Amino acid sequence: MDRIECQWCKAQNEPERTSCSTCGAPLDKKNLVSDSGWTEAPRLRDMTEFRFSNSTCQIEGEIVPVAELALAQGDSVFFEHHVMLWKEPNVPLSAMNTGGGARRMIGGMPHILSIAQGPGRIALSKDATGEVVVLPIHPSHEIDVREHAFLAGTHSLNYSFVRIKGLVNVLHGGSGMYMDRFVTGGEQGLLLLHGYGNVFQKTLQQGEKILVEPGGFLYKDSSVQMNTVQQSFKTGMMGHHNMYLAEMVGPGRVGVQSMYVHHGSE
Amino acid sequence: MSATTYTCPYCRIASDASGTTCPHCGAPTDVRARVTKSGWAEQPPIRDMARLHFNRSTVQISGKYVPVAEMRLDPEDSVYFGHHVLLHSEPSVRLDMMKMAGGWNRMLAGMPLLMMTAAGPGHIAISADHPGETLAVPLPANHAVDVVEHRFLVATGNVGYHWENSGIWFATRNGDDQEYHYPLGQTMDRFSAQGGPGLLLLHAPGNTFIRDLRQGERILVQPSGLIWKDRSVRMHLHFEYPRGNYWFSSARWQAKSVWLVLQGPGRVAIQSVFEPPEMAGGIVNSSGATTQYW
Repeated sequence: MDRIECQWCKAQNEPERTSCSTCGAPLDKKNLVSDSGWTEAPRLRDMTEFRFSNSTCQIEGEIVPVAELALAQGDSVFFEHHVMLWKEPNVPLSAMNTGGGARRMIGGMPHILSIAQGPGRIALSKDATGEVVVLPIHPSHEIDVREHAFLAGTHSLNYSFVRIKGLVNVLHGGSGMYMDRFVTGGEQGLLLLHGYGNVFQKTLQQGEKILVEPGGFLYKDSSVQMNTVQQSFKTGMMGHHNMYLAEMVGPGRVGVQSMYVHHGSE
Repeated sequence: MSATTYTCPYCRIASDASGTTCPHCGAPTDVRARVTKSGWAEQPPIRDMARLHFNRSTVQISGKYVPVAEMRLDPEDSVYFGHHVLLHSEPSVRLDMMKMAGGWNRMLAGMPLLMMTAAGPGHIAISADHPGETLAVPLPANHAVDVVEHRFLVATGNVGYHWENSGIWFATRNGDDQEYHYPLGQTMDRFSAQGGPGLLLLHAPGNTFIRDLRQGERILVQPSGLIWKDRSVRMHLHFEYPRGNYWFSSARWQAKSVWLVLQGPGRVAIQSVFEPPEMAGGIVNSSGATTQYW
């Protein structure tokens, strides 16, 4: 019997399903791709449910979505602890030592991530309108995420953080000093991000470049290089205006969000 | 032909099933209830231009992003609201100030000092200034609910209003500094329908979920996520300290979670947007609370 391939995460699904069992993307709708090649991240239907390991995740609400996780025994998720909306009293919490405490504090990143261990239910939510982006991470894959953008990662993901290279990138990049890095080992992992506004993704070919507003950058494959480029505009006889953009160089995926704070001008 | 009776799952009030929205709370009647596996029911947004009835008047909810409640007031009906939510009013509507007791305490608690009343006839429109949902909470006669401060939009004239201390607080010490925190706010609003059914409109940022807690059933929620609860629902604070290694000793205090325990029986409503409580320092005192060290 034919199986349906999810256009977002490429997972194979049973023919009777209307949403992907791995990422929740609607299977009965075509991917929306702009003329320039940006794919709109699938808007998950209210109450969509999908699986990871032996656990499930249900996305509820459409203005400020909530990710409700039913954790099975032995499964766990980690997250920044201020995103917890509610939980069952019996779900244990522990802390993940991220390392690099002082550096993270200086960089404005939380130095502790919380881990919720199954069995039990916990619900996570961000504090602004947007959408939950579900990224199944295939084995031996690395992905970099803008700081404070990740909602939850499953236990099979290894977490670290990387410093954004170059002082000019830190000062003018608009993405802070660090990015979160998620790496999978031999098992597939699942990463939930919160994108402000709508989220779009583009896959860059080897050497292909794209300039994006630094505040709009959301995630990228670690194979994608991120540089900051300055563009100067004359505004009169003597005046000029500088604008900073993030230059992404392929190969790999880049994700952007449509609601952002503009950082890069003076 | 006799009309079929329909009991709305959200406001629990019976009506005839002639329309596509509940005339009491505006919930769509032609959609299936959306309930998560854990038992939270998503409050369906009131449809654009849906019309609700109260006493001899109506209220129409327009807009989806920052909804407006447009009320057609009968000459014998009135409503009251915080003065900053008034969007427009016809000249025929009689606007007046509502006397509020405890002005000094309200000012200290950051509550609005002034409430306005509007009496019919005429049209008046009310809007909060944030994206979110308008919640209609019809109150049966002699029924009361507790509402977190700043969620109130407008109530009908026969709904009694008073406020009292929330009774939920904790104090932290960070070095020599001691700070008091009120994660629900210092006060909570109590609305009770007197002499007949009343209508209460609230504004909730984000999405809204409701849940009926059984006798003794408990759930932990972010304190600032609470919108309203039945009076029968009891609440207290719960502090949770995660297990694990920390890179410096005070991190254990930084990583604590401050929860609000809601214990049934009764209905509670929460919103998906919330503001986590301040975390600096160790907790040195609090209202009645439980603690869990994992």
